[in-house]
Formats: sequence, structure tokens, C-alpha cells
Amino acid sequence: MTETQLQPSETAAPPAMGRETSFIPAIWNRATGIAGRRGFLIAFLVIGALLPLIDRNEGDIDAGANALAYAILALGLNIVVGFAGLLDLGYAAFFAIGAYAYGIFSSYQVQPEWWGFWEPFQWLGLVQHMTSPDGPGTVHFTVSFWLMLPISALIAAFFGVLFGAPTLRLKGDYLAIVTLGFGEIVPIVARNVPYLTNGAAGLNGVASPTLFGYSFGVQSLPFYYLGLALAGLLILISLRLKNSRIGRAWLAIREDEIAAEAMGVNRVKLKLLAFGIGAGFAGTTGTFYVAKLQTAAPEMFMFPVSVMLIVMIVLGGMGSVAGVVLGALILQLLQSVILQDMTQWVHAFGELTGIEFFKQLDLVQSIELIFGIILVVMMRFRRQGLVPERAAVTALTHAQQTAVPTRGAVAGGLAPLHRRPIDANKPLLEIRGLSKSFGGIKAVRDFSLDVMPGSIVGIIGPNGSGKTTFFNLITGLTKPDGGKVLLAGEDVTGLLPHVIVERGIARTFQNLRLFANMTLLENVLVGTHTRTTTGAIGAVLRPPRVRREEGAANERVLETLRIFGNRLMPRVQHLARTLSYANRRRLEIARALVSEPVLILLDEPTAGMNPTETLELTDQIQHLKDRGVTVLMIEHKLAVVNQIADKVVVLDHGEKIAEGTPKEVHSNKEVLRAYLGRSTDAVAEAAAAS
Amino acid sequence: MESWEILLQQVINGVSLGAMYALLALGFTMVYGIIELINFAHFNIFMVGSFIAMWVMQLMGFTGQSHVLYGLPLTAMLVFVLCVTMVATGVLGALIERFGLRALRGVSGTAPMITTIGLSYILFNVILLGAGADTKNYSNPMPNIRWEFGDAVLHLRELILWGVSLVLMLALHYFVRRTKMGKAMQATAQDQEAARMVGVDVDRVVIITFFIGSALAGAAGVIFGLYYNYTNFGIGYTAGLRAFTAAVLGGIGNIPGAMLGGVLIGLIESLGGQYLAVRWTDVIIFSILVLVLVFRPTGLLGRASPTKS
Repeated sequence: MTETQLQPSETAAPPAMGRETSFIPAIWNRATGIAGRRGFLIAFLVIGALLPLIDRNEGDIDAGANALAYAILALGLNIVVGFAGLLDLGYAAFFAIGAYAYGIFSSYQVQPEWWGFWEPFQWLGLVQHMTSPDGPGTVHFTVSFWLMLPISALIAAFFGVLFGAPTLRLKGDYLAIVTLGFGEIVPIVARNVPYLTNGAAGLNGVASPTLFGYSFGVQSLPFYYLGLALAGLLILISLRLKNSRIGRAWLAIREDEIAAEAMGVNRVKLKLLAFGIGAGFAGTTGTFYVAKLQTAAPEMFMFPVSVMLIVMIVLGGMGSVAGVVLGALILQLLQSVILQDMTQWVHAFGELTGIEFFKQLDLVQSIELIFGIILVVMMRFRRQGLVPERAAVTALTHAQQTAVPTRGAVAGGLAPLHRRPIDANKPLLEIRGLSKSFGGIKAVRDFSLDVMPGSIVGIIGPNGSGKTTFFNLITGLTKPDGGKVLLAGEDVTGLLPHVIVERGIARTFQNLRLFANMTLLENVLVGTHTRTTTGAIGAVLRPPRVRREEGAANERVLETLRIFGNRLMPRVQHLARTLSYANRRRLEIARALVSEPVLILLDEPTAGMNPTETLELTDQIQHLKDRGVTVLMIEHKLAVVNQIADKVVVLDHGEKIAEGTPKEVHSNKEVLRAYLGRSTDAVAEAAAAS
Repeated sequence: MESWEILLQQVINGVSLGAMYALLALGFTMVYGIIELINFAHFNIFMVGSFIAMWVMQLMGFTGQSHVLYGLPLTAMLVFVLCVTMVATGVLGALIERFGLRALRGVSGTAPMITTIGLSYILFNVILLGAGADTKNYSNPMPNIRWEFGDAVLHLRELILWGVSLVLMLALHYFVRRTKMGKAMQATAQDQEAARMVGVDVDRVVIITFFIGSALAGAAGVIFGLYYNYTNFGIGYTAGLRAFTAAVLGGIGNIPGAMLGGVLIGLIESLGGQYLAVRWTDVIIFSILVLVLVFRPTGLLGRASPTKS
């Protein structure tokens, strides 16, 4: 987490060092956990800086520089695949775009005829005038390497957004196949436009970077240090992005796209952002790589490169920054050192035994086979990778486990959960003739309802009567066929889910949609997405405004979690998937509440809770009302509804069959029929009528 | 050649390619229809199929272009090679499902797809390392009988390949529509939970789906070899991508859609190659994939919505 994060006293439990936990996991937790992040970056830079002093072999340093280039690529792809969960199989294409961008603007490949247009560029030092005795001469591009590093990132990001936009609306699988296709056609295009790229022969004579008059030339050492600096920068960017509002929204999308959207995350925009930033990393690396090699050919950017990068991420740990760097270094080491050495041993063994097979065997060629095996084995047996994104959960102490549950301190003088003035005399939510059919089934039929501010409205009805569909229509997850939804007089019908959250309607889900592999704290922080503003740049630079916002959001989250007393507080750093069923329900409610809704929709909040827990939650829902939140809730437990609802609405076959106080509704014949079937009286009545 | 003759010739070529793509697309679409997974291993099951058929023919003594058969012996030989190849690739697909993918079924996110990429890569490299990187000549046991329409030529070979695809597709259609297993497949595709509740053995349905899809990919591999007279470790990638585009074009999860999409992609490839440029074929097909996904994500015949999560 961040340094500004408020640590509640409940979580400051000492690391469990009792019989149950050994010493080594505790160290491992620390190494991979919160405290280790900055340490990792520093260690990486220090060790990286010292290595060339120990090993002065030019070949090794060159391999090191290449390894760093691939580590940067893997870091970029990790933002797309690891953070946002988008499988990009054509990542090498963006690498190619960055490489060719610098290659073209710093070589003699493209030489347009000279005319006045180019003069301003000449003054800027971007082009040179190549005079010729018979004619106006030609243009030689001499764009600086240092300028091209960011420009390549922008060009690659542009292509990323261009090709991401049409497919990011679809299910993730389609992105995989479209990126696979894109990864295939970029080298084809490079081959087919020899005017720009010199085709299959490759672009030659790419200028070497110079720094204050010092030319990098063909030496490996300057490139090694430049690569190290770039890798360090991108590690920092990755870490900062991940632990920010943007990073949490990405992880939320990865874990559950629909829930993320229902918590106010604009998924298309954030996916595009991930895709664009990832492509940008690749563009910069392309420029670096081509400046080092001083040549670019289509073969350097084919599908196997993209697969290798995915192997690095899978091996190291998807979403884990340290893991990805480790994965990249292991694979580079495997390729350039281990397999070569092993091949020599195998050959020696072959000479020794006289077996022809071992004499001929070249293990370096089997690297791609090894890649395939790594992918399958890791996915099957260790999906979280060598360095998991998340440290193992520290167990609760015995005292925490056996503590008597306390109810939260909501009754005290806390501020209302939302800050907007609401007209108490007008309905907060007006539903007018809402309808939705699925094929021939009318899930919701001409439904109208007024909800007054500060009230609790219960919706009951048999299973399949359209209650959840009704919630989906209000929150924008399903588009209505007809009718209107007005919130405080404003039409919100058919808006996108994340916009509706912004307007002030939050919800929970009947079948629980938590972000399973994020901590409790992060889960609830996602709920603050619409009430915070930090963008990608702010997340990386972390100016004081962003730090303040993070701090305030953390406080807000902890304050909200305290509603549930000591149920959730000791577990804020645990992963949501480790929670009990009842605690998951509580967490969903907390996540919805921090979005500062004026209206909260609870879908069966007490389902799966025992009587004591139900009673506790009933109380807590009542308290929400005191804090100015209007509640609309679907509930099957009539005792709960009777106790706290100001108004009850009964749905059957998509229609409202009754509305009134709990008492009125319970004596309604239609309701009895819907719930209990026809009474003998009703059957007799029906028979008499026909 | 007159322009209509060129057109006719390219249509003949396109239908031949399309017959192959359709068979390959069926495997994608069936697996996707049942467990919503893009099976990248399918690319290279196709490639392995073309190698198996080549080895079977070599074992039978067919190596060069010299052995030409007619009538019943030709039919028997082709049926035998197809059967052996299809059973072998079918078993390969079933093994991949059972030991590679079953443990990951129901795992959300990218893990199952990444596993299929890994499996695909393993198949690819096993063939590359085992059989070498050079292009292999395929024997052609079919007589060189040809019909000429002006300058356009239709070979017996092409007619046989069309027939093979058609028979396999009709058999698949009958299987899915008429047999109990086929109905269990349809039920599983619609709602796995509900199918399980009414007694469908979903694991069995899934593994049989993989078997059939992979067997059809094997048949497509045989067709590739006999049509082009060569095979190579790298043929799976391009053909697989085109077949997948065919499946999306027809409507992923839709069996007749895959057949239609396959033939259309075959025609686009041959006509595009003729009237635009061969080197841009992949770019054209990729553009079609993107355009279909943007403007008609359910494909021509439609079914499952790709936007559902």
C-alpha cells in the first residue's frame, strides 16, 4: 500500500510467529509485501549498476542489455495482461512500431526531395539537407534518439488505442485473437512497404544515440546502463500505477468486469488506458532496441517474441512487478547461458558414450518447447507465478479469532454518507412504466414506484418474479425496453452503469461479486472510484493533491468498515476470497457505501446469514437511514422486511401486485396467492366466477 | 485467360480452401460453443494432422507422385488415411482436454487460454524438433483427371476434397441434430448447469466435443496436404487464424455459420489474391475480422453474444 495509508489499530497485530507459522514465510511476506516494494527497486538498480564492474565481458554486458530490453517489454505487457487481465498476443507489434519509428527517422531509408517545407525542421535539427549537384537535394532525417524515446511511446500508444478500441468492448477472448492477428500483420506490412522499411532485408544504418557529444557507437556498456535506467523508471511507474486509483480499477476489471462497472469504473476507458500505456512501453523499448542493434527487420517482431513475453509474465507472476522482472531475467539467462552450457555438457556426454543423439542434440533450439512447457505447467500447478502478486495472508491471532463480535459505532455523530442536499418532500427515485422482456418472457412489466428520500423500501416476491432484473434496469446493467427511471427528478434511464454510480445509485449483488484476489481495503477503495479523480499521470507523479486524496479515501474506507465493528477491521489486508459468506455480504455493502450513494440497492443482504447475524445487519441497515441513505432492498426474510421497511412492494411475474406498509401487504390476497398458491377459498371463488 | 475464366478459376480455388477452413473453423466454434474457450492448440492439431496423414501414406508406400490409384483402391486408401488421421488427432484433442484443460475449466480470466497457447507451442515445437524445419513433399495418389471450362480447370482432386468436407459436415450436422449425444451437446452449450442437472455428463460432452473438433482439424490437415502437395511445421498459424476468422464471420458457436464462414474466407483469400495482391491477403482477412467484431459481433448467422461476460 501507500505510505499515506492509515493503518487501523486493529490491523497492527504483530506478525503471527506462533507455532502455526514458521519464520520463513514471515520473511517471504516481507520480501514480497508492502515493505519490499521500494526495496526491490533499489536492490534492482544497485545490483544492476554493479554487475558490469564485476563481469567486464563485452558479450555478457550485451546479453544483459538485451535482457533489460525484454524486461521492459515484459513490464509493459504486464500492465495489459497482469493488471487489466487483457490477453494481448500481438504485443511485439508495438515493439516493432517503436523500432521502425526511430529507424525511419534516424537513417537514410526515406529521403524525400528537399523544398522549403523542411527548413524549419532543419533549424530544429530534425533533418539535414543533403545537397546534390543536379537538383534541390534530399532530406536526411536526424531526429534525436532522446526525442524519439517518448515519441515512439506516443506513436505505439496511438496504434494501441486504435486497434484496442473496437475490440475492448467485447469479451476478452476476442482481444486475444485480434491482437494475434495484429501481431501477424505488422511484420507483413513492414515487409510489404520497402519504401519505408527496406522490406525483408531490414532497415540499416540506424543512427547510434549520442549524449553530450559522446556517441554510444556499438559498445554495449552505455546501452546497458541506459536499459537499466529505463527498466528502473518503468518499474517505478508500474508500482505507482498499481497502487493507485487507476491500478485498483484495472485489477477490479480483471477480477470482475461487471462488478467493476457497477462500482463506477468506466471499463472501456480504463482498458484502453492499460492497452495504450502497455503499447507505449513497447514503443520506447523498440526505439532503444533498434538503436542498440542499428538495424530493424520484420523477423525481429514476430509471434514468438510475444509468446516469450507472456512466458516471462506467467513464470514470474501475473500482475507482480518484481515477479515479471525476475521472469524476464530467468528466461534470458536460460537462453543465453544455461542452455548453451548444458548443450556443451550433453555433447561431452555424447562423445564419452559415443551416442550420436547426444552429440547432435542442441538444447538452445528447444527453447520454444520449454516455453510451451512452462506455460502449461505454471497454469496447471502455480498460476500465481514464482513471485505471487499477493503475499500470503497473515493469520489472525487467536485473540482476534475468538473475539466477541462487536457492532459498529454508527450511532455516534458521524457525517452523513453523502454530501448532496436532497429535497425531502419529493420522491428520490421515480420509476415510470419500466418494462423488460427476454425473448418471450416479460421479466418486468409496466412497473412504477416512488421511493421517498430517507425511507427503506423492501421488495419481495417469489423467485423469478423479476426483482433482480428490476435492480439491473435501475443500475444500467440491463437496458429497459420501455419506461423511465428518475433520480431526484433527473432522467437516468439507460445510462451506463458507471455513470449511474456517479449520479448516486450504488448496489450489491445477490450472488456476490467481490474482487476475489484483492484485499478488503482495495475492494472498498474501488468503491471510491467515482468520488476520486487521480489519473494515470497523477498516479505516477504522486503530487501532494494525489497523496491527500489517497489518504482521505483510505480514511473514508476504514470509517465505513467500522460500521461492521470488528467483523471486517482485523482483516483489511486479507484477500476477499478468504472471507466467510456473511463477511462477503458485509464487504459488498461497505464497497457500495463508500461511493457516497444517495440510494443504495441491496440484493438479499441477509441471505446465508444466521439469525444473530441477520439481526445485526438489520440494525446496521436501519442506521444507514439515519445517515441519510435511502435503501431499496430485495429480501426474502419477511421478519427483516417487517422490522425495518417503511414500504413493501410485491412483485410477481414481473408485475407489481401490491404496495403498502408491511402490515397492509401481508393481508393482501394477491400476495398470499403468489406466495402460498391458491387457497381453497380462492379456488372456489375462481370456480364460481367461471 | 478471359476475365470470367479467371473468376471461375479463383472461385474453384476459393471453394477448395473454404472447404478446408470450414472443417477447421468447426473445431473452434464447437469448443467455444460449449466451454467459451478459444482453443489455440487447435491451430497445431491441424498441422499435426497433416503430418500424421503424410506418415501413414509413407508407411503404405506412397512417397512421390508416381503412385496413382483409381476407383475403389483410391477410395479405400483415402478413407483409410482420413480415418487413421482423424482418430489420431481426435485422441490428441481429447488428451489435451483431459490432461491439459479440464483442471482449469471454470477458472476465470486468461489462464485457460494461456494454457492452450502453451499446448499449441508444445505441439509446434515437437514437430519442428522431431521432423525438422524443412518443407515435406506430400504424395498425391489421385489421378490427374481434369475438366476444362475455357481456360479454367477443375481437377478431380478438388472435387474429391469438396466431397470429403461435405460428407464430414453433413455427418456432423446429423450427429448434433439427431443423436442423443448431439442433443446433450446442444444442451451443454446453452446452459452447462441446467444440462448437468438433467443428467448430462458434462465432462463427457466436453471431451467428445474436443475429440470431434480435433478429428475435423485432422481431416482439414489431410486436405491441406493433398491440395498443396506439401506440409510444414508452420502451416497451423496462418490457417488457424483464417479459420478462426471464418468462425467469427459465421457467428462463433454456430455450426452452419462456421461452414459458411469457411467458404467465404476461402473465396476472399483466392479472389483477394487475384484482384488485389497475395501479399496483402492476411491484412484483408484481419481487417474482415476486426470489421465483423466491430459492426456485427454475432457474425452472419449469429448466436452467442460476444459481449456477455
